Amino acid sequence: MIRRWLTAAMLLCVLVANRPVGAQTLLVPMDDAQTNHLKAYGLAFQAIKTVRRAEWLLNYRGGAFLVPDAPDMRRRAALDGIRTEPVSDGDVARIRAEIAGGNMDAVVLERAPRVAIYRPKDQPPWDDAVTLALTYAGIDFESIWDDEVLNGELSEYDWVHLHHEDFTGQFNKLYLAYRDAPWFIAQRQRDEATAARFNLSNVPALKKAVADGIRQFVEKGGFLFAMCGATESLDLAIAAFAVDITGPFSDGTPIDTDADARMDWMRTFAFRNARIEASPYVNALSDIDGHQVNVPARRQPLGTFTLFDFSAKLDPVAAMLVQNHRTVIRDFFGVTTSFNKAVLKPGVTVLASEQGAPWVKYIHGDLGQGSWTFLGGHDPEDPQHAIGSAPTDLSMHPNSPAYRLILNNVLFPAAKKKPRKT
Amino acid sequence: MIARAVRSLWAAALLTVLILPTSVMGAQDLVSDALGHEDAGRNAQAIVAYRQLLNQALAGGENTDQIALALLGLERVYFSLAQRDSVLPVVQLVLRQRPADPIARGIQFRAFAASAQDAEVRMAFDEWRSAAGEDAAPWREYIRTLMAMGRPLAADSALADAQRALGRNAAFAGEAAQISATLERWTDAARAWRRTLPDMPWMEMAAAFSLQGAPVAARDSVRDVLLAPPIGLAPRRLLATVETGWGDARRGWAALSSVRSDDSATVAWQEFGERAEAMNQNSVARDVWRALYDRTGQADVGRRAAIAALASGDAAEALALATTIGPTLPPTDRVAQWLLIEVQALGELGRAAEAARRVQEADVQLSDGLREDVSRELVSAWLRSGDVERARAAAERAGTLDDDQVVGWLALYDGDLTLARRRLVRASQRDAALIDALAVLARTQVESHPGLGLAFLALARRDTADAIGRFALVADSLGDATPALLATAARLATQSTDSTRAVRYWERVVTDFVSSPEVPEALLELARAAARGGEMARATHHYETLIIDHPGSAMVPQARRELERLRGHVPELS
Repeated sequence: MIRRWLTAAMLLCVLVANRPVGAQTLLVPMDDAQTNHLKAYGLAFQAIKTVRRAEWLLNYRGGAFLVPDAPDMRRRAALDGIRTEPVSDGDVARIRAEIAGGNMDAVVLERAPRVAIYRPKDQPPWDDAVTLALTYAGIDFESIWDDEVLNGELSEYDWVHLHHEDFTGQFNKLYLAYRDAPWFIAQRQRDEATAARFNLSNVPALKKAVADGIRQFVEKGGFLFAMCGATESLDLAIAAFAVDITGPFSDGTPIDTDADARMDWMRTFAFRNARIEASPYVNALSDIDGHQVNVPARRQPLGTFTLFDFSAKLDPVAAMLVQNHRTVIRDFFGVTTSFNKAVLKPGVTVLASEQGAPWVKYIHGDLGQGSWTFLGGHDPEDPQHAIGSAPTDLSMHPNSPAYRLILNNVLFPAAKKKPRKT
Repeated sequence: MIARAVRSLWAAALLTVLILPTSVMGAQDLVSDALGHEDAGRNAQAIVAYRQLLNQALAGGENTDQIALALLGLERVYFSLAQRDSVLPVVQLVLRQRPADPIARGIQFRAFAASAQDAEVRMAFDEWRSAAGEDAAPWREYIRTLMAMGRPLAADSALADAQRALGRNAAFAGEAAQISATLERWTDAARAWRRTLPDMPWMEMAAAFSLQGAPVAARDSVRDVLLAPPIGLAPRRLLATVETGWGDARRGWAALSSVRSDDSATVAWQEFGERAEAMNQNSVARDVWRALYDRTGQADVGRRAAIAALASGDAAEALALATTIGPTLPPTDRVAQWLLIEVQALGELGRAAEAARRVQEADVQLSDGLREDVSRELVSAWLRSGDVERARAAAERAGTLDDDQVVGWLALYDGDLTLARRRLVRASQRDAALIDALAVLARTQVESHPGLGLAFLALARRDTADAIGRFALVADSLGDATPALLATAARLATQSTDSTRAVRYWERVVTDFVSSPEVPEALLELARAAARGGEMARATHHYETLIIDHPGSAMVPQARRELERLRGHVPELS
């Protein structure tokens, strides 16, 4: 009997001795060593969701993650083609020492945010970069639309994303070119029916109410990430709460003649003193966008934008939003591609801009207890995405630096809150 | 004072020497002189020569061609010197004498536009308009210049002004179309091009180019406009070009094929057929040439239809054409133009005896080159019929028995694996069948195996069902090659949509030969079969096993992509 116990104990010792030395943690590098940057976010999200523990090593190896070395983590990494490096406790200690000595920091991620994407049930003929990114990375989300916002369901989520919607209710001024297209007719009928259901007089009124609901969501502590036309139109709709800024094709009445003067910019997230584009024949909402892609005479060419460097220790939120393995990124068009500096509110944090250009690309700020981030452009890997173009297949762009910006925003609400020190 | 007079006299004498020879030169000499300098990159001399030509033409009155030639030459030379605006004083010189000269005005517009002098363009336009009266030319040039300056909305306004001022909408249909396309008003653009092309057929390429950019969502409205009655050649030809550009030559042909028969339609069909051929759209090319043959009865067109039919795998159509057209030709022409097509078609259809008979009948008329080609085809025809002996005899007659490929295949069909291995490995033309055969031969040390030969022969006969059974049957008798043969049988079963048998063979590979190199492929195919059958959990399991257990396999990236698609993580293929 004793002999048997001794044998078992020896066997146990041998097993323990042969175990990979201290491999309790997986380092997920996010520099050029990473084989699938986008899926790596999904792995970190899974770690937060299942074991409520991951760390984001800001400015360390491109914004690497530390996740527990569990079999399901390894399995998912293998299936998704994510590079991971088993690290011992000693290795982790060395990493922490290196982090302590430089412009780096470790942020604990401990609660998977509840994510909602504002998008219509019927898929419009253009893709949505955030839906693509989250789906590809394997991050759970729910879809919401006007009914959910107006019924107050936004409070069930931590993070809401907006993409291409025109919150001024002018259907992105696509009336001229696409008024006969079946998808346009369906979109219009759907929005008119929703407006009627909520006793709102027309689509612009409906979208203004939705914009206000989103504003309240942020004010009460929500995180908002908006891209493309949603950025500009959301602020216009909020500022124009008591002004008619829409052409007769959308609400049957002409635009208020003194609309510009009556805009209430105090209420907006990011912009102030923008000028409304009053002509229904000019496919632009205002002068917020620097590139004006749909106005051929004003269209500006695409360049590259540069991510700013932030102090990971003093300004962790901004640092989280710009974690990347590239600093200079190819620009991409959208209904709103960029934001003119001249119309930015004071206090807006610029996260990325094009050198020498009068516009910026990526901005962030706080409103009430919440915060928001705006990224110009429609689809980072399809710089001139047109209506009807096939959606981007992200498995062809697993290392996309611009798509990483979107995913930084998803993880950032998971961070254990640290007060901003600057 | 005297010195100055002497210098002046010298200068005058020099000028006389320089000018006299050219002043007496004819206009033609000046033109060739100027062009010669320009071609040789002697820009300074070219400018002098063009200026002299211009001066001579202006002095001589109505020499419109020479003026145009000189002005355009100067514009080119100054452009190459990056001094585009230097042409403007010369243009002014011409315009003082000829204020409505369209060439001079066009150059003036381009020079102003190049330096973004919007106000000057507008001024020049106003001057031209007042000089030209009711002529539409100033409006057209102005609209085009605005478009070239990237100002389509301004061009759109100018177009509306022109239509109001001249009351002739049709005169600006081309410009209206260009503007609509630039502003992405696709339906309007298609309508305008439809109105324009009957009067301005030379604009067809411009129309196709402008509509090419229409996104998928707008294409149906473009189609509706161009297909609407009455059926006309110009819109149908435009749509055919645009559809081909959109990657659907079949739809393009559908648009063009219903046009009423006349000479213009014949030319349009011919052009379309050539385009389809160039794009390797063989089945479309076959239909175009066939329709054209039915319309014209021309034998050479019928031959192109037959060649396209063979390339598209439609041997029956090729043979039908050969038997219809061949007998109408003189015997020597029939042999020269049609015998090879007939033999190929008969071979593809497994009618080797008929092919041999046709060759025998034509024997005396065969040239050496044609005899060699036909004989090679005959060997293939006999093999496809499963008759190795006759194939060997045909090869002997054709003198190809020293050809590694022919000898290797014949040895393989005989089951002589040693000889087959030795000769096939040296074969120069490597197609998929040869690579498959070599893969099997490389995996076994067996020297002779008639059963395996019969399996490959069944494959050569295109009797896939028989081949599948034979490969599976002999698999276990070939030792190390068993998984390779099971994989061959499974691939054939997949190709012939016999999923049940394919799955059975792949499962044997996975279960009984776990360390064989065929396992990753087997897992991938099993996953695909499960996905096709709606068994998502099973498909996921196979994909995951492949990725986890065989991380070094070249199939892992493909498995990941398909797994992503299965989970809906990436968009469906359109």
